[in-house]
Amino acid sequence: MPELSAKERVEKLFRRQPLDTMPFFSGMGMVLRPAIKQLGYKFPQIHRDPVKLARAAILSSKLFGFDSVVVPFDMCCESQAIGNKISLYEDSEDTLYPTIPEKMWKSMDDVNIPSDIADRWPISLIYEAIKIVKKEAPEYPVGAWQLGPFTQAGQVLELDILLKGVFKQKAKVEATLDKLSDMCIAIGQKLQAAGADYITLREMGTGTDLLSPRTWKDVIQPRMRRILGAWKSPKILHICGATNLIIEMMNDCGADAISVDIKNCLAESRQKLGQNTLIFGNFDVFALPCKEETTVEQAVQGIKTNIDGGVDAVWPGCDLWPDIKEANMKAIVETTRTYGKKASPAVGRL
Amino acid sequence: MNHLTSGQANTYGKELASMATRDELCERLKNGVVEYQEDVVKQAAQEVVDNKFDALDAIMNGLAAGMEVVGDLYDRNEYFVPEVLMCADALYAGLDILRPLVPKKKDGLNAQVVIGSIQGDVHDIGKNLVKMMFDVAGWEVYDLGRDVPLEKFVEEQMRTDSEVVAMSAMMTTTMLGMKKVIKMIKEKNPNVAIMLGGAPVTKDVANLFGADGYAESAGNAVSEGIKMIARLRQMQGKA
Repeated sequence: MPELSAKERVEKLFRRQPLDTMPFFSGMGMVLRPAIKQLGYKFPQIHRDPVKLARAAILSSKLFGFDSVVVPFDMCCESQAIGNKISLYEDSEDTLYPTIPEKMWKSMDDVNIPSDIADRWPISLIYEAIKIVKKEAPEYPVGAWQLGPFTQAGQVLELDILLKGVFKQKAKVEATLDKLSDMCIAIGQKLQAAGADYITLREMGTGTDLLSPRTWKDVIQPRMRRILGAWKSPKILHICGATNLIIEMMNDCGADAISVDIKNCLAESRQKLGQNTLIFGNFDVFALPCKEETTVEQAVQGIKTNIDGGVDAVWPGCDLWPDIKEANMKAIVETTRTYGKKASPAVGRL
Repeated sequence: MNHLTSGQANTYGKELASMATRDELCERLKNGVVEYQEDVVKQAAQEVVDNKFDALDAIMNGLAAGMEVVGDLYDRNEYFVPEVLMCADALYAGLDILRPLVPKKKDGLNAQVVIGSIQGDVHDIGKNLVKMMFDVAGWEVYDLGRDVPLEKFVEEQMRTDSEVVAMSAMMTTTMLGMKKVIKMIKEKNPNVAIMLGGAPVTKDVANLFGADGYAESAGNAVSEGIKMIARLRQMQGKA
């Protein structure tokens, strides 16, 4: 049986062509501590330096045998480019991702996206990082991502303004989301132009543990369709939390694949979406690779359960947490290779 | 057969009338919260004050009872977080008026809680909803805000001698800090109850970290919090 390269495996997956085995890859961050340590970097340093960003991502994939390299890792680039200050936690020894302590926009009326936003630093460093990955690790497909407009709104405004506004100020909410959708489209197109081989739209904060299916249909779905319609394939739509009530609408937004987290009932999603839809995710990024008490055997069993549940790729349901247990992480990827030799619902095998 | 004198009947009639008004006001407070009508809640709360009804009774059997209904609607997927947030605003509109009239306990000490979102996490919707639950229950709440350094939880618990520390994390990447805080607090004071909340926090994680309670999402925090309020109401009813 021919063995495919990581790039071939992922490309064929999106075309639903037969594979040698199931890929292990992600559309969200998967930078890991062992790689950062080996490179001699500190976690807070890797987010705003394109070389460190690229090399930390490449080495994480190489050390553990992932099928793609993903940049960036943090969710603050756009907000910082708009003018907000960020916390990098440079004095902390813990794994702390950058955050925005104070947002300069206090109401939806303040939202004014600069026309050159897609070219501003630090967004521009992601394009540089993609180019470095393409040059230094051409055997890997490069994944990039954008936060969806509702989730991004929480990075530039206090989220409760938007949540309450859904009822009290719907027109303003929609106008705000449209502005952020324009930004999302423009940056996504530049990520693709820089060489991203696939792109994930992460509208994380819109699961039905937050918004009703009706609000999702009225307010979120039109923006998902517009953004995904403006990007080239392959493109993935990811939503965190409870998604079973909206899974069919998610699949009706123009994405090539749907990504969910552990709160999704995979059997129900598969039943609703049928065998031909690419479904990723639903694997617990804390319990299997990170939890101190999880044995290698339990991690292996967890991935077998994930594959048996009907995914088409082993794909973390969120950013991989950097402080993984190395033995568990390696066993997870190895199990994906061996146990994933059988066909998945939407993709056959060579 | 006993007969009332006209004076007794008059007094009894007034009592009946005021009882009905008390019930009616509680109902208006409750419905105002459920239907997120801040003005209705404010008006009813003011009438509770003007009529010199028991403020704590109105909080528990009006505002808190309303949030119990909200929790039920959330559990049944009829309400979602935007509705819950608006209900919380309505509840606070009433609480701001009624809470100052609740007498302090005789020993001057209410139950105390230290609450905050853990370092690295700037999400605080869930935290604020849990805070509301403690506010309703009349606790002294020491709100540290969000992105709170781990040591700050320990320092504040020791400073205030609070019985409960409640922490929230929205992301797996920040959740692990909770484990350190719990260890630090329990080493110094094993009797402190720790409550965890946030999207990545499961019952398994809470147990593993040594926490005493958990809520997995903002909505779930409300649901769990409301159950706690319901238990408090039952206890109050029995007292």
